[in-house]
Amino acid sequence: MSADLLAIARSGTRAARAALDVTAQNIANASTEGYVRRSVDVAEVSASGTIGGVGTTTLAGVRVSGITRNADALRQAEVRRTGSDAARATSEVEGLKSIESAVEQSKVYEASVAFEGSLKQLTSDPTDGSLRASVVESGRTLASTLNVTAKSLDAVGEGLRFDAQDGVSQVNLLTSELAKVNNRLVRAANSSSDQSSLLDQRDTLLQKLSAQVDITTTFAADRSVEVRIGGVSGPKLVSGNTSATMAMTTATDGTLGFALDGAAVTPAGGALAGKGQALTQLADTRAKLDTIAAGVIAAVNGAQASGVDSAGQPGQPLFSGTGAADIAMVATSGAQLATAPAGAAAGSRDTANLTALRSALTSANPSGQLDAVLFDVSSAVAGRTVTRDALVSIADSASNALQAQAGVDFDSEAVNLVRFQQAFSASGRVMQVANDLFDTILGIR
Amino acid sequence: MTTLPTSFSTGTAGFYGRARSDMASLREQAETLQTQIGSQSRLTRSSDDPVAASRLRTLSRADSLAKIDTANATRATTDLNLADSALSGITDTITQAQVLATQAATGTLSADQRASIGKQLASIHDNLVSLANTRDSNGNALFGGTGASSAYTLDASGRAVYTGTGSSESLPLSEGESVTRSITGPEFLSFKAGGQQTDIMATIKSLADALQGGVADPAAAARGTLEALGTGLDAVSTAQTVVGTRLAWIDVSTTRATQMTEARASEQSDVGGIDLASSLARLQELSVVLQASQASFTKLSSLSLFDQLR
Repeated sequence: MSADLLAIARSGTRAARAALDVTAQNIANASTEGYVRRSVDVAEVSASGTIGGVGTTTLAGVRVSGITRNADALRQAEVRRTGSDAARATSEVEGLKSIESAVEQSKVYEASVAFEGSLKQLTSDPTDGSLRASVVESGRTLASTLNVTAKSLDAVGEGLRFDAQDGVSQVNLLTSELAKVNNRLVRAANSSSDQSSLLDQRDTLLQKLSAQVDITTTFAADRSVEVRIGGVSGPKLVSGNTSATMAMTTATDGTLGFALDGAAVTPAGGALAGKGQALTQLADTRAKLDTIAAGVIAAVNGAQASGVDSAGQPGQPLFSGTGAADIAMVATSGAQLATAPAGAAAGSRDTANLTALRSALTSANPSGQLDAVLFDVSSAVAGRTVTRDALVSIADSASNALQAQAGVDFDSEAVNLVRFQQAFSASGRVMQVANDLFDTILGIR
Repeated sequence: MTTLPTSFSTGTAGFYGRARSDMASLREQAETLQTQIGSQSRLTRSSDDPVAASRLRTLSRADSLAKIDTANATRATTDLNLADSALSGITDTITQAQVLATQAATGTLSADQRASIGKQLASIHDNLVSLANTRDSNGNALFGGTGASSAYTLDASGRAVYTGTGSSESLPLSEGESVTRSITGPEFLSFKAGGQQTDIMATIKSLADALQGGVADPAAAARGTLEALGTGLDAVSTAQTVVGTRLAWIDVSTTRATQMTEARASEQSDVGGIDLASSLARLQELSVVLQASQASFTKLSSLSLFDQLR
């Protein structure tokens, strides 16, 4: 009997020891990314003998029945879904902000107003050399700020495409990792620590993947995961130990297209979708800027052609180029401005053609259009920022909810430490009692 | 946190993460306020308030164009003042010619005396031509319209011929308003006398020629010219009135432009400016909150059950 007591106490110390180990593991991994708090499941060991119908109970102590990984599949799915949305909104807002900065900080609006102003000032004395030179110089400034804006926008596009390409490589890396994890999960024993860490890995990979594209997951009985893009009927990204390869294509206007094993796919969430949306806005802004530049070129050169310059010669074009990227001032001196109407003598102070030029520019309205472009982009940024803030706070609360359930809390681990230490001591005490009992029996004389 | 209070528990990593993001957001708000106070502008980028930013752009455009309008108004005022004083000079000169013509019209003068008056009139003619060729503030012919050269040149026979263009240029003052900055020579020097289109310089020139022996009866010629000189003087006075009216118009327009500028400035500060008092109060409030959250974070993070267990 006392031998039984010793065995029971031994199993108790073993269970307490295991629980202490798990507690220590939890504390050590408190800030490990993707680590899910473990807890020990213990079960009573007993057997009942039935001899002659009389039930007796054999007590045999306790055993560790498994280690539970405190992960809630629903909360994890919520974290992935809301995280996808937040990542999409965040990368879209970042892209739009860069577009806004490119258009706003190049001061292209101010340059356009200055060009208008210099033309207006020239009407006060169309033969004044310095006023003419100021028109040519402010025209040159307008042309070069348009160049700078176009270049900055192109650079923003390059950056976004580079990031998106990096995102696609990440998706491919993550999916191939997931396929490997799936493969190992099938072989891992149930409730083993190997399985737990594989599951941690699987969930971390899924969360990283969901930051890039919106995914739907289906878990098999062997805990392996099937991943699809979009909804449950979307194309398969990972299935068993195979993963599809994602590829990115760039259209001529710089917008993005994605393909999965050659078939076109459109992610609706994740950073890739956000970058795609930002690039669509970028292409739109870039096209508008080209239209504005072309409008200025047509208005100014058209008016120039119908007048004569200060030498009485027919006016030559002021601007070369076709769009924002290549517009350039070609006039070398203010004398080339055709302020006087055709037929006027050299040095005429007649401003008829200057007036025509100004009204052509007024109908092309570059300043108004640039204002509209800035307004479009900035109101898109303002609106999407509100959406982004909402989505990020939703994602944060989903992640908090998961953390509360799956994260390590030092206070409760401290309590566990004390509790299992006491359990260990108590089992030790039981051993002492068993020893005393044995001594008592041996001591009978 | 959307979890129910019963299941409320926080992971240690979660606690640090939340504290970090809360304090970062407070600091960001405080820095935004500081930027606003430093730049005296509510907007650091257009997306802070797209509508206000667009309004501010429109206002600043109107402002920079209005500055040019003001410069134009100043130029026009200068030119019209120059025209006014030139016209006064011309009026004086014509009056002088009238006096001389009246003297010459009396029959008691000798031929020599008339010839001497004729010489004086010839120099008055020269004065008139140079007055008609007055330059404006930019050095161009003030009464020459938009022509590049002088307003009047003398032909082979010594007669003044108008070589300018038909009208003076007009300067834009503000949206939709403009003023003609000068008048052309023919507008005030030419007139009709006896059904014939002539000009004051030609009239004086022919009288001078007549008095110096050009005609048989110089006194009659002088009498015939007196009426024409009177009409010519009227034409110049009328032109002076026109110039005065234009100057008054520029004044009205400038006053209005100034009022518009003030209105724009006040709208600019309404739309894009900050209220310093409330911004500073808000900054103070934020820094108190930030200090409090830092203090409470320090307190909470130092609370560990492990320290209590011995």
